[in-house]
Amino acid sequence: MSDHLLSMDEMRQVDDYLERGFKVHYVYENLSGMFVEFGRQEEEVCLQILTADARKYFAAKLQEQTQL
Amino acid sequence: MADLRIDFAGIKSPNPYWLASAPPTNSGYQVQRAFEAGWGGAVWKTLGEPILNVSSRFAAVSFNGQRVAGFNNIELITDRPLEVNLQEILETKKRFPNHAIIASLMVEPQQEKWHEIVKKVEAVGVDGLELNFGCPHGMAERGMGAASGQVPDLVEKQTHWAKEVARTPVIVKLTPNITDITMTAEAAVRGGADAVSMINTINSLAGVDLDSWNTVPHVAGKGAHGGYCGPAVKPIALNMVAECARNPFVNVPISGIGGISNWQDAAEFMLMGATGVQVCTAAMHHGFSIVEDMIDGLNNYLDEKGIASVMDLVGKSVQRYSNWGDLDLNYKVVAEINNDVCINCNKCHIACEDTSHQCIDMYTESGRPMLKVREQDCVGCNLCSIVCPVDGAISMVERMSTIAPMTWNERQSLISSFDR
Repeated sequence: MSDHLLSMDEMRQVDDYLERGFKVHYVYENLSGMFVEFGRQEEEVCLQILTADARKYFAAKLQEQTQL
Repeated sequence: MADLRIDFAGIKSPNPYWLASAPPTNSGYQVQRAFEAGWGGAVWKTLGEPILNVSSRFAAVSFNGQRVAGFNNIELITDRPLEVNLQEILETKKRFPNHAIIASLMVEPQQEKWHEIVKKVEAVGVDGLELNFGCPHGMAERGMGAASGQVPDLVEKQTHWAKEVARTPVIVKLTPNITDITMTAEAAVRGGADAVSMINTINSLAGVDLDSWNTVPHVAGKGAHGGYCGPAVKPIALNMVAECARNPFVNVPISGIGGISNWQDAAEFMLMGATGVQVCTAAMHHGFSIVEDMIDGLNNYLDEKGIASVMDLVGKSVQRYSNWGDLDLNYKVVAEINNDVCINCNKCHIACEDTSHQCIDMYTESGRPMLKVREQDCVGCNLCSIVCPVDGAISMVERMSTIAPMTWNERQSLISSFDR
């Protein structure tokens, strides 16, 4: 998959979690990229974001969440 | 006609173009010819205890047919007695009272030596002093020049000694052969400097002769590092000027030096915070008369911009120079190829395919070879437009980002609040 398609897919996953009512609980980054822990009530999921464009996109979404 | 006069730390000059302390300002004959040609000021070749030079002193680096892209020298300060220079300064100042004459000085780091030379030089009516803490070769081996200029405490102390007796403005000329030039610039200011100038030359070896295996230049089969200057060093100098200009502790005027070859270079240095500029290599390459075009070009530029005085240019771009962490991560430009202008040399495709992000496709349309950028994969690196030999064939165009501006620093601050 091209970087562009991969980043589009990762952005779609970020949107998907947020649209389903998940909130960002934790964010950490390491050599493997960015890891985002989403939570909704008792449910928790971890999304690994690999691409640079999606990591930028996620930060913008995180900013929106903090401004709500 | 715009007003090209400058007031540099109290030193007045009919225009911002000064000859730098170097071979072109070795004698009264030369400086007077320079003033006749139109130069606004001259920093006299460094005065100190007369030295001995070697034969074979200069070398140049040519690149792709451009001669003197860079210039290397191993010449030292003046080899003439102080009294000879002072007499010629006196005569030159008498003949050109409205031009700026700055005496470049270099002595051993001792208080009485600085006092002695400052008093003697000021007695003949110079408009200012430039302390040479930058010369990288020869004199540095004797503890002067760059050897002093690389130690902030020595810069501060010697500036202070000069200021103890100076009645004219003291400019401190800084070496680029240091990790962070703002450290020595701040030291100069702490020592009382009225201004700083930068850059002196960069440690260099111009080349090695592949037949004889001698250095270029060589002196009877041996070489030593010299000082590099000319167009090749301009970006290094411009950055150092800008870093000092945006440093709140370097709150004195800056004289920009380093590869300035035309009025455009001068305007760039002034926009980045220099109040005036000094030129050497371009004059050595083309002669004093280049200043005519430099004056005309700057005049026309200011008129076209509707700017009345060249002093109004000073520092106008400084606030646009920032840290990487304060740049917008979401700003986006992409390459756009104009196939009507493109000559299908394919340099852009090769550069992108081999060394960047593989986003320029080759295709055929009605039998004609074409190139197209896949915008979604273009990171806006500019490489294709840099290697393209045809003006207007590749443009970098802005694309509206769908996400809000955010800098790296803002992002890290935001993410850190979601850390465990």
